[in-house]
Amino acid sequence: MKEKNSATASVLKRILVNCSAQAKQYGSCVAARVPEVERDMCLKEFLVLKNCMRNVLQGKEHVGMSGKASASNHPGFSVSDALSHVYIQYPPLRCTLTGTKSFLYDDGNKLLLGLTSDRVFSWKTAPYNPHVAPSSDPLCEGPVLSIRYSLDLKLLAIQRSNYEVQIWNKETGDTISQKCRSESESILGFFWADCPTCDIVFVKTSGLDFYSYNPELKSLHLVETKKLNVSWYIYTHESRLVLLASGMQCKSFTGYQLSLAGIIRLPRFEITMAKSEANNKPILAAEDVHIITVYGRIYCLQFDRAAMLLHSYRFYRDAVVQQGSLPIYSNRIAVSVVDNILLVHQVDAKVVIIYDMFAESRTPISAPLPLLLRGFSRASESKELSDPELIIYGDDWSFLVPDLICDVANGYLWKIHLDLEAISASSSDTPSVLEFLQRRKLEANKAKQLCLEITRTLILERRSLPVVARAIDVLITTYSQAIKTGSYQKRTNTEDASPSGVSNLKSPNTEVDESSRVDASGIKQESARGIESESSNRSTISASVSDGSVSFETKKMTSHNLDSSSGKTEGGYMVEPEASGAQVDASIVQSQILGPGSNALNANASEQLESQVSSAAISPADLYRFVFAAIEEEMAGDATYLVSIIVEFLRSASLEKLKVDPNIYVLIVQLLAREERYEELVLFVLNKIIDPSKEVAMQLIESGHQNVQTRKLGLDMLRELSLHHDYVLLLVQDRYYLEALRYARKNKVNTVRPSLFLEAAHASNDSQHLAAVLRFFSDFIPGFKNTSEHNSYCRIVADMNSSIAT
Amino acid sequence: MVLESIRFRTRFVIINNIVNVLAISITVAGKVGLEMGLSSGSNASEAVKLCVFDLRRGQNEGQELDKILFFYPADLPFTTQLSVIGLSEGLITFTRIFSPEAACDVIEAEMHSHVFYEAEPDIWMVMVVEKNKESEAIWRIDALRRVLKEIHTLFVMFHGSVRELVDKEPTGGLVRTHLYYFIMDYLSDFFIGKKLHLPNFRDSLKERGTVQMLTVGREVAIDVQSLVRVLESCAGNSKCYSLTMFQDLLVSATLSPDDTVSLFTYAVLRLTPQALSSGVSSWSYLRKGNTACNTSAGAVMANSCPSVDQYYNSGDTSPVGNRSYPVVRPLQNDKWSKGKDGFLVTDIWGAEFGSSIPTSPTIWLKQTEEKMYLCAYQLRSLTVILLIPASSVINGEQGIAMVKQQILENASLKMFKVEEKLSRGWGGENAYHVSGYRYLLVDGDRCVSRASPPGKVTTLTKDSLVALSKLREEVDSERIRANSDGLGHEKDLEICIRAKNNAWLIARLTRGKELYMVLEKANETLLYASDAVMKFSDRYCNGAFSLE
Repeated sequence: MKEKNSATASVLKRILVNCSAQAKQYGSCVAARVPEVERDMCLKEFLVLKNCMRNVLQGKEHVGMSGKASASNHPGFSVSDALSHVYIQYPPLRCTLTGTKSFLYDDGNKLLLGLTSDRVFSWKTAPYNPHVAPSSDPLCEGPVLSIRYSLDLKLLAIQRSNYEVQIWNKETGDTISQKCRSESESILGFFWADCPTCDIVFVKTSGLDFYSYNPELKSLHLVETKKLNVSWYIYTHESRLVLLASGMQCKSFTGYQLSLAGIIRLPRFEITMAKSEANNKPILAAEDVHIITVYGRIYCLQFDRAAMLLHSYRFYRDAVVQQGSLPIYSNRIAVSVVDNILLVHQVDAKVVIIYDMFAESRTPISAPLPLLLRGFSRASESKELSDPELIIYGDDWSFLVPDLICDVANGYLWKIHLDLEAISASSSDTPSVLEFLQRRKLEANKAKQLCLEITRTLILERRSLPVVARAIDVLITTYSQAIKTGSYQKRTNTEDASPSGVSNLKSPNTEVDESSRVDASGIKQESARGIESESSNRSTISASVSDGSVSFETKKMTSHNLDSSSGKTEGGYMVEPEASGAQVDASIVQSQILGPGSNALNANASEQLESQVSSAAISPADLYRFVFAAIEEEMAGDATYLVSIIVEFLRSASLEKLKVDPNIYVLIVQLLAREERYEELVLFVLNKIIDPSKEVAMQLIESGHQNVQTRKLGLDMLRELSLHHDYVLLLVQDRYYLEALRYARKNKVNTVRPSLFLEAAHASNDSQHLAAVLRFFSDFIPGFKNTSEHNSYCRIVADMNSSIAT
Repeated sequence: MVLESIRFRTRFVIINNIVNVLAISITVAGKVGLEMGLSSGSNASEAVKLCVFDLRRGQNEGQELDKILFFYPADLPFTTQLSVIGLSEGLITFTRIFSPEAACDVIEAEMHSHVFYEAEPDIWMVMVVEKNKESEAIWRIDALRRVLKEIHTLFVMFHGSVRELVDKEPTGGLVRTHLYYFIMDYLSDFFIGKKLHLPNFRDSLKERGTVQMLTVGREVAIDVQSLVRVLESCAGNSKCYSLTMFQDLLVSATLSPDDTVSLFTYAVLRLTPQALSSGVSSWSYLRKGNTACNTSAGAVMANSCPSVDQYYNSGDTSPVGNRSYPVVRPLQNDKWSKGKDGFLVTDIWGAEFGSSIPTSPTIWLKQTEEKMYLCAYQLRSLTVILLIPASSVINGEQGIAMVKQQILENASLKMFKVEEKLSRGWGGENAYHVSGYRYLLVDGDRCVSRASPPGKVTTLTKDSLVALSKLREEVDSERIRANSDGLGHEKDLEICIRAKNNAWLIARLTRGKELYMVLEKANETLLYASDAVMKFSDRYCNGAFSLE
């Protein structure tokens, strides 16, 4: 870590020497506005400075950055390992085949299609594997405007012209041709749907045609037609939403969602655009509008070129609400979504700004930073000489929904990744970093490890108590949320549940989880709505903001209710799912109910199918194992501080009614005893902050070597836990053999050997006591009188008596 | 070896017998005149005498007055004072022959009891109380000794040890002034009218020198601990201690048991909301808010202590000058008040030069012998006391102000929440009443006790209480005997007595815990009484007393 810092420092030094003018400019800009500091307020100056920095870095060969794959300086590359939050990993998926004319993306099946003169090659992009081999199908001669496989991959639809779409059946080889009915309309495009009533939708200038495919008749059957004038349209399969633009300026929108529940029409809405001149009426272009899906919510983003703003609109079932605008610093932008994080690529500026839309916040997560190419080195480059020049944000880049980049010229397909480490390192507000990481699903395990690491570091750095407490609160509450919604499950668990039902199980869970997270963000007015009042504790995504709306799916509501009631029946303490069959059952039931209903305007399941279901949530047991137990030794000098942290942890857990690892209580006892804070230990035990258990009792007795009182506490705990055998044994050890006998008789303990009592009595050198003990065993243990023990101790008593008498 | 231990065990019996003989023989010899105090017994205020003396001082003939560090009542003639101290010294010297380690405990004369307490090596405190069967003057010696002990521990907490003060100024003026104001302020709580009311048999279901605790649930307990941690982290890295109270009950303390008791006692006397508002402390129903003593104390001092004046005058080398020892009087009544910011303020410790900001109070910890700043915050019924090591606060009042600021910033919300939760769970002053039982539960290891609420104890008849007082006296001596046996082996003990009025009186000791109980409406049989104890033990003491 240190090494890296020093390396960064030296780079910074060089930068500052070379870019002093630009730095000064940026500095003065900031200084001039200093009372009202805003994010990006001096972006122009910043970008200039950044350019300069980049040049400095490029001017030098191998800037000596340690760690990570060496940052090579290929011309045209922005390479700075440390300064990036988003990266693409080298090598890309190479779709280079000779004779490829063009690339098209089938987002329904997540296939990248490469067209040659007589074949169509398809590369699977999900799950992303750079070495995937393409599959291919023959293709008839002729122009191809667009091409999409049906969702079961049995049919291939090819748009040949503005008037004709051909559908080719892979199995039979039959071809159906679908043409426009009149010359007055033309086909803008088409897409396959998984809606119960229709299979394919044609978007025409005159409206939408919904067709269903009949496999027996091998023909298309018109289900429904929606008449309206369409200038252009956009569709993403992950949202199942088609937006139709109409009007002179193309700023009037109608939307349809083709979900599993049927076709839902969204209210019409208008987009307002800034005018650059008074009489100028700008026309909205298709490439300026994007549909994105984050946290199961659907947004429409519109790039207003005149205002240099990116407006966002959120879709509700019966309303479309403008949410706010993001600033834009480039004439060309692109939008990606990685793991529910919105990436706005400022293509001209060659930087990307990332936003977490979760809390409806308009502030970027971090400063604009370039997109990084990772894992690309000169060595690999020389090996594969065929590698053409790689240009980040080149003109040939096309951004595919949601997180892919296709370098058309080279035939490369890149997947965008978030660098969670870099993002979390860029903020000092640890609790919000943790919240951010806890929401990550794509690299849940990595996020989890990062969270644990951050927590460990917080404690090791002796950060102030409130800060650590808030961090722990974040982790505990997200875990508790995850457990309540059932999204926290060990992978093995889901696999054990019927393999066929896995897909069915996973997706709805994530959905529910997301909806509950929406709730957590505190959109309270939603829960006030009548229909939802029943499940006000978990309002759905779909509820409206201000002008009222109903929930999307009543089915969803019931499942929520069911979920919460199952939580209720369990009552008391939540148990970790793996420990409770009931919990798993509940989630299965819930998923079955949710199955058909998981399709509303929300994110579609298939996306989440591919990602692992495990969430970043950290159970209290993990917190103990990977944080407290792990750092205990390092914290040896400051046990008091560690105890304070554990108290905060217990407070958090008890607030959420979570059980914690009993070992943590043992740890508290050890720590307090080590610091000789016995008085506090007593309070902890008496107030039941420390849960009584045999382990704790034994630890108390052990620690009690220094402090009799603590030992007594341990003994009392044993007694209260009805661990009679241990209690009697320890009483005898402490030479309270008479009391032990009395207790043993009362509680019918007959597992302790008589010899122990006799030895203790003998050691006390009191013949009366010894005689009493002997008598006790003769009376209560049948056959004791005949043992050799009895005889020998009888002799001893006699000896003792005679010695006193003389 | 065996013989010697027997001699030690019977020591007290021997002493008691000898003392009776001694008293007579001394009176006969007329050398000290033991009865002189008794002859003027008509004066009610003289029913109690309390003195502190140093055996190392005034060794020479004619300098006996030098021994006396404190005498109450101060207006007694010196000859009388000297005779009391002379007798005490004589007895101490005599009994030391038999038991050099622990000398005289008590002298029971016909009309008086003399209670001895060796506060520090050769610093003795002696209390003489009149016996009177008709009035309320039936005493339990250990209860009286605990008063002496309390005076001493509190004194040490504020002023350091008596010996240190004696050594600081050999003329004795400094220590006399301190002791005088301190003990008079302390005794002011026991005055009803002009009469001192010391704890008598009516206080049998009470244990002075213990802490009363509030029972809280797990969740609140965690919140309290969380608050405590935050509070103690407010002064940076220095090791602080804290004491959290609700009403006049202890919620949490991180101090050693001894220090906790002292600080708790002081807080109940002067800092809790009740102490602040009415001047009536709730644990002592004897105290009726009499503050007259304070004003009279000065007058008494002026006209009755020529000896003190004499020492002032003789101390002309003292830089302090005549009779102007700066005395801090922490027990003075009505000196604490709640400031605007919620912190308790007092001018007892004076003010810094040239400013009106009062100096922060300081106390000494017994265990670590550290000097600590005392910083008390009060929110409704919640009182939080934070002790900050004086050595860690570099710039005095400024440093304390910074800590206070930290407390307000970091802990005020937590304190608010804790107070709210505690108030919600608080069962009122009769929260620990168990119907049918009048009890006292003492955990000697932790110095914690719990008892039936005073209002319920007053419903007991005098007979029961007197009998209980006797029973406890018996248990006390049994305990002392066991202690002198050494070995640290705690004996279990059980005593059940049927009193004249058919009440059952029960005492049970087990492994450092004591339970005393009065069952007035109990049934005839012993079995019933024993059952009742069992039930009580199982329900309220986690079965600690149900070994049988």
